[in-house]
Amino acid sequence: MPQNEHIELHRKRHGRRLDYEEKTRKKAAREPKKRAATARKLRGLKAKIYNKRRFSEKVQLRKKIKAFEEKSTETTLDRPEDGALPAYLLDRQDKQTGKAIAAQVKQKQKDKAAKYNVPLPKVRMQSENEVFRPLKSGKRGKSWKRMVTKVTYVPDDFTRKPPKFERFIRPTGLRFKKAHVTHPELRTTFCLPIIGVKRNPSSTMYTSLGVITKGTIIEVNISDLGMVTAGGKIVWGKYAQVTNNPENDGCINAILLLSK
Amino acid sequence: MVQYNFKRIAVVPMAKDFIDVILSKTQRKTPTVVHKQYKIGRIRAFYMRKVKFTQSNFNEKLTSILSDFPKLEEIHPFYSDLMNVLYDRDHYKLALGQINTARHLIDNVAKDYVRLLKYGDSLYRCKQLKRAALGRMATIMKKQAQSLSYLEEVRQHLGRLPSIDPNTRTILITGFPNVGKSSFINKITRADVEVQPYAFTTKSLYVGHTDHKYLRWQFIDTPGILDHPLEERNTIEMQAITALAHLRAAVLYMMDPSEQCGYTLEAQQALFENIKPLFANKPLIVVANKADIWRDDLTPEKRAILEVMARDSVDETILEMSNKDDDDSVNRVKVTACDKLLQHRVEQKFQTKKTDSILNRIHVAEPAKRDTLERPPCIPVAALAKRQQKKQKALEGDDGENDEDENEDGMMVDGGRPTRNSTKKKSEREIELEMGDDYILDLNKKYLVKEDEKYDVIPEFINGHNLADYIDPDIMKKLEELEKEEEMRERAGYYGSDAESDDENVKEIHELAEKIRIKKKLMKNEQKLQGTKKSVLPRTTEPKKRERSVSRLKREFEDLGVDMEGTDDAHFARTRGRSGSRKPALKKARMDSEGRVRSSSRTPRDESGVRDPSMKKKLGKLQKKVQNQKFNQFGKSGEGDRHIATKMPKHLFSGKRGTGKTDRR
Repeated sequence: MPQNEHIELHRKRHGRRLDYEEKTRKKAAREPKKRAATARKLRGLKAKIYNKRRFSEKVQLRKKIKAFEEKSTETTLDRPEDGALPAYLLDRQDKQTGKAIAAQVKQKQKDKAAKYNVPLPKVRMQSENEVFRPLKSGKRGKSWKRMVTKVTYVPDDFTRKPPKFERFIRPTGLRFKKAHVTHPELRTTFCLPIIGVKRNPSSTMYTSLGVITKGTIIEVNISDLGMVTAGGKIVWGKYAQVTNNPENDGCINAILLLSK
Repeated sequence: MVQYNFKRIAVVPMAKDFIDVILSKTQRKTPTVVHKQYKIGRIRAFYMRKVKFTQSNFNEKLTSILSDFPKLEEIHPFYSDLMNVLYDRDHYKLALGQINTARHLIDNVAKDYVRLLKYGDSLYRCKQLKRAALGRMATIMKKQAQSLSYLEEVRQHLGRLPSIDPNTRTILITGFPNVGKSSFINKITRADVEVQPYAFTTKSLYVGHTDHKYLRWQFIDTPGILDHPLEERNTIEMQAITALAHLRAAVLYMMDPSEQCGYTLEAQQALFENIKPLFANKPLIVVANKADIWRDDLTPEKRAILEVMARDSVDETILEMSNKDDDDSVNRVKVTACDKLLQHRVEQKFQTKKTDSILNRIHVAEPAKRDTLERPPCIPVAALAKRQQKKQKALEGDDGENDEDENEDGMMVDGGRPTRNSTKKKSEREIELEMGDDYILDLNKKYLVKEDEKYDVIPEFINGHNLADYIDPDIMKKLEELEKEEEMRERAGYYGSDAESDDENVKEIHELAEKIRIKKKLMKNEQKLQGTKKSVLPRTTEPKKRERSVSRLKREFEDLGVDMEGTDDAHFARTRGRSGSRKPALKKARMDSEGRVRSSSRTPRDESGVRDPSMKKKLGKLQKKVQNQKFNQFGKSGEGDRHIATKMPKHLFSGKRGTGKTDRR
C-alpha cells in the first residue's frame, strides 16, 4: 500500500530509470522545434495569444541574459582611472546627464499639465439620437416619450412624475450609484458613491438628467478617504472625470480631480 | 460509516487553466455567429446566453471543489487535527472561504451584466458588455490563484495520506526516534517503511495491517517524539501526538535500554512520564527493544528504571524484544498487544448500553424444582435384565473365551434366528487371500435374481434408450392375461366375419369412393400447379365465356360420380336474371354514330387532333415505344417510386446550436 512520499522513497531505493537522463536531455533539446511547430500551426486568435505570450517570455529571457552579462562584465572590466578618460568617452558622461535633465523636464511638464487640465480634454459629442430612444405611448400621434439609453445617476430622493408629464424615462437597470475612482497620486482605486453629475460636456440637458458618458464630471463622496482641507476640515465631496464608456463596460471608471 | 479516502478529490486546476477551460467551453458550446442586422432581441439573447453559460460553468466547477474537500467539522477529530497539523486549519478554511466568495462574486457579476444586456441597443454594445462580464469573471478567478494552488497542494498531500480507519482495532507504536519502531512494523506487516540509522527517518504516519485470531489489526508507525513541551513540538512530532490523542488504540511504547538511539534511558522514562496523559484509557505495553545488545549486561540502575516503568504497563511486565535476531519475541509483542486490545475493547463494549440489548436476547432457561420428589429415569424391566445379562456375559467372556457359549447366548437373545457371527459371510477380500492368483472378481453372483439368470448379458442401452426404463417385471403375467382375454373374445364371436353380406350396393359405393378419391387428388394437383389460392387475372385474360351450362353440369356431376341418367328433359332450376326486376330506363340515352352518349361533348384527350383510326393506331404504337424507353427500362427508381430519404439528416442534427429552438434550425 503506497503511502506518504512513496515515489521519493522508491527513487531513493532503486534510483531512476536508466535512460532517464538521456530522455530528459533529448526532450529539452526537442522543445524549441516543438514550439516552432505549434507556432507555425496556430491560426487566428490562438496564434495571437500564443505569440504575445512567447514575446513576453523572450523579453524576460533577454533581460535575464543581459543582467548576467552585465554582472560578468562588471567583474572583469576594469574602470579607467580618473583624469585619463579617452577622448571618445568624454562626451558620453555629458549625454547621460543630459538625458536625466530631459526626463526631469518632461516630468515637470506632465505635472503642470495635470495641475491645470482635466484628464480627458477632448470628448466626443453625444447626439440626441444616440442618447434617447423614442418610446411609443398612447395609440396615436407622435411618440413624444424618450428613454435614456446611457447610464444615469438618479438621486435617492427622486420621485417619478405622473406618466403624462414624464418625458424622459431613466430605466432602473441603467441607474448607477457607485463609481470606481482612481486617485492619480496614490495610484489606487476606490469604489465610491456618486453624489451628483456636475457637468456632461455634451449638453446641459444631459447634466440635468444625470446622464453619465465618457468625459462627464461627477461628484463623488470621498469622506472615507480621509482627505483634509487646508483649514483642517474633512473633504467629503470631490469631482472626478469619467474615463470610460459606462454603458459599454457596465461600470463607471473615473479619475479624481485633485487640483482646482 | 464514513470512508476516509481522500484520493477521490478531483484535480484543482491552476487559475490560468481554470479560466482557459471555462472560456473555451463557452466558445465551444454556445453559438458563435451573430449579425448586426438581426433583431435586437435575438442579439441580446445571444450574448446573455454566453454570460449565463460562463457563470454557470464557473459556479459548477467551484461548487465541486467546495464539496470535494473534506470539511474539518464533519470528519473524524483525528483527521481534522491531522489536517490542522499538516495544512494549518486557518489557511485551509480561508482558502475554501475565498473560493466560496469568488463563486458568489461571479454570480453577482453575471446577474448585473445580464441586467445591463437587457438595455443593450446595438450589437456592439452587447458585445462590449459580454466582454466586460467575462473579463470580470476571469479577473475574480485570477485573484484566486493562490488559494487554488494551495488547495491543489493539499489535495495531492491528502491523497497520499495513509488510509487510517480511526474506528477499527488499532495499535500505535510510539517512542523516541531511532528506537526501532519502523523495524518492528516492517517485521509484522507489509508496510515497507524506510529504516535508517538516524533520527527522524519516519516523518509521517505509516499504516500496516496484520492478521491475528482471524481478525485484521491496524498497526500505526508514528514518527519519534522528543521530550519537550507541546508548544515546541514540530509538525513531524505533532502527527504522532495527534494519533495518540485521538485514536482509541493500544499503545506500544518502545524503549531502548541499550541507549544506542542516542538518548539515555532516563530521558526515555521522562518522555514516558510527559506523555502519560495521552495513554489514559488505553492498554499500554512497554517494550524494551534491542534485547540482543543489552540482554547480557544490564546495569542495576537501568533495571530499576525498567521496573518502575513496568508498573504502568499491562500485566506489570516489560516485554523484551529484539528485531534483529529474535522473531519469537517480536511475535510475542504483537500477540500480547492484540490480545490486550481485544480484551480492552470487549470490556468497553460491555459498558455501553448496546450490549444490554444483545445480552437480553440470550437467555439460558433453568427451571426451578417443582417439589422434592425423586424422578429417576424409567427403564423397562426387560431392558434391565438384558443389560444384566450382557454384563454377566462380559464377565464370562473374560474368564474363558468360548465361541460356542457366545453363539448360544446370541440365539437365546434373538429368539431362534442364527446370529451373524455363526454364518459370517466371507468378504471378497478374504476370498481373494484364500484363492491367491486364481481369484477373479465376480460381482454377478450377488445379484438378486434367479440363479440361472445371474450371468445373462444385459445391455444397458439399446437404440439410445435406457433399458432399465423399459423393464417390466410383470410382463409375462400381463401377456398371459391378454391372451386369456383374446381367447374369451374369440369364443364370444367378436371377430365373426360378415363377408357374405357383400352385395352390389356396397361394391358401387366402393367404386364411387375410389372415383372421388382420384378426383380429389387431381384437384389437389391442379391447385399445386397453379401455386396459389388467390385468383390471378393476367392482362391477357380473355373475357370469360359462359361457363355454366346444363351439359357442363351434367358432365361434372358424372365425373363426381352422380348418376345423371334420365335427366335429359329435366329442368334444372334457373335463376332469374336481374333484368327481370330492373325497371325500364326512363328515357333512352341518345347515342351518336360511334356509340357514345351525345352529352359527352368533349373528345377524349388521346383522340383530339387525331385524324383517323389508322393514325390513332400509329400514335398508340409510338407512345408505347417512348414509354418503354423512358420508364423503367432497367428497373431504375424514378420519381414516382415511394422513397424515404435519410430519416435524420445530418445537417439538422449536428453541429452548433443556434439561438433558435431545437426543432427549427
